[in-house]
Amino acid sequence: MPTVTISMRPDVTFGVRVPRAAYARFPHGNPFGEPHRPEQHHLVFEALLQLLEEADEPTFVELPFRWRRWKQWL
Amino acid sequence: MDRIPLERLDATGLQARYDDWIVFIERSHHGSNPRINGGDAFTRVTKPLSASRVALVTTAGAHLADQTPFHVATVAGDSTHRVLPDDLDPSDLRFTHTHYDTSSAEQDPNCVFPIDRLHELVESGRLGSASPVHIGMMGFNPDPSPIQDDLAPRVAGILADAEVDVAIMVPG
Repeated sequence: MPTVTISMRPDVTFGVRVPRAAYARFPHGNPFGEPHRPEQHHLVFEALLQLLEEADEPTFVELPFRWRRWKQWL
Repeated sequence: MDRIPLERLDATGLQARYDDWIVFIERSHHGSNPRINGGDAFTRVTKPLSASRVALVTTAGAHLADQTPFHVATVAGDSTHRVLPDDLDPSDLRFTHTHYDTSSAEQDPNCVFPIDRLHELVESGRLGSASPVHIGMMGFNPDPSPIQDDLAPRVAGILADAEVDVAIMVPG
C-alpha cells in the first residue's frame, strides 16, 4: 500500500527509512499547520498528494512553507 | 490548486544526527531496541488519486472520547491502536500524548488528523473516496519491536480489509 508521511524530525525520518516523506518546519503538534487555517492545511495535503503522484523511488522532500508565529514547544 | 514546488531535502548530516539520537535513546530509555528498516518498502501508486480510497493514520494519540486513552504514564510506550470511523464527529476526538503540545490538535483536530480536509478533497474530486476507517496511534514507543512485529501488520490488515489504496501518515 503506497504511503506518504509528514516528518517533524528529519534525522529520525531519514534514519528509519520511509518510502515518501515531506519535512514540515512546523512545531510539533502542527504537521498540517495552525488551527483553523484550512487553506494552509490544504497546501500541505496537496504537497503530500503530489509526492505520491511524482515519486518513483524513495523520496524525502522539504515543504516550502515556514511557521510565522513560532511558539516554544512546552 | 497550482503545483507546489517540492525540493529534495538536503540530507547532509542527517545520518550522523540519527546515530547520535539512537545512542541517546539507548542510554535514556530502558528497554529500547533500535531497529533499522531496509529501506526497500516502496510501493508504487498504480491508479489515479481521483479514483483512490484514502485513509489517515496518525501517531498523535488520537482516539474518541468513549475509547480507552493511550497509556502515557509509562516509559514502555503503548503499541495499541484505535479505529476511528470516517463519520466521526471531530468534537469527539481526544489527544492523549505527553511528548508533544496537544493544544493545537485540541483547538482543531485537522492539525494532526485532517479529516475535514480529506472530505473536502473527496468533495472536490481530487481524491476518490475516504476510507470508512482511519487509525489513531500514540507515537511514544522507545522499543519499535512491537510496532514492527504486531502493530504495523495489524493496522495494514485493517486498511487492506477496508480496500484502502493510499495511506497518509501523520505524526504529532
